[in-house]
Amino acid sequence: MTLSDLIHHEPDAQTLQRWITKVPYATYLGIKAEVHDNEILFILPEDKKLVGNPTLPAIHGGVVGAFMEQAAAFHLIAKMDNPVLPRIIDFSLDYLRPSRLRDTYAQCTLTRQGRFIANVSVTAWQEQYDKPNAIARAHFLIPET
Amino acid sequence: MRTLSVRDKTKIISQMSDLIPHTHLQGICLESINGEELTLRLPYRKELVGNLETGAIYSGVLTMLLDHTLGTASICCDQIGATITPTLDLRIDHLAAAPAGKDIFAVARVYKVTRRVAFTAGFAYCESRDEPIAKATGSWVLMPELQFSELFSAGPGAQQ
Repeated sequence: MTLSDLIHHEPDAQTLQRWITKVPYATYLGIKAEVHDNEILFILPEDKKLVGNPTLPAIHGGVVGAFMEQAAAFHLIAKMDNPVLPRIIDFSLDYLRPSRLRDTYAQCTLTRQGRFIANVSVTAWQEQYDKPNAIARAHFLIPET
Repeated sequence: MRTLSVRDKTKIISQMSDLIPHTHLQGICLESINGEELTLRLPYRKELVGNLETGAIYSGVLTMLLDHTLGTASICCDQIGATITPTLDLRIDHLAAAPAGKDIFAVARVYKVTRRVAFTAGFAYCESRDEPIAKATGSWVLMPELQFSELFSAGPGAQQ
């Protein structure tokens, strides 16, 4: 069974977790998903293999970006009225502080979903939500079915 | 600021590849240095796949690779010298899916340096430089007080 067979609207945490297992890179990063009060929370658990700066130590910024991009894609699928696999058009990422070697969280907002294009914003944090480590915005193309 | 030789840059890049755990695990290596332009290579691995139906590498992997390559270009920039450059921002345009089974090459150069910021640009391709699969621009904060050698001073096998 592939990811496209599994996707559906407003999934629970268990379903999201099954989606993640269908994406080898998301599985490799160790991404987890939880649902709290209808809000999806993505988690990138602390793991030494993610380190980009061994002195601090800090997680590789590109990994944080990849995690946020993956979170945006899963979030969009979860919020679509008729879920299909979206295709990323562009990704814009602002780094605000280094991500230490600890769990990282991401939450997304589907800012706009048009017929062909969706705009998703992502906030990633470690200690508290209002002290984000990075913020990002992704545009996705919604393939016509 | 002294100019870095190709040998200096090769040494810095191989130190980065060896001592940064994530890039070491990904097997990211130097492909070529051409003046201020450098090319890194990411070998194809099944763990990097985003779409099991096509075998295409996940787009976020390109974000990671381009972040790393643009960052490496800023660390190796002749006008900057080997200092630590935290990322300020990064923008990736995904132009095409990465074909299954192919290594990805990422090319980057610094196109402007100010006192505190380095502006970089680059792209990723698989088979031909003329057919990029992603383009990237990024800005990096310059912190001349943090020399590159300090990043690895605590790391195993760090060389002076």
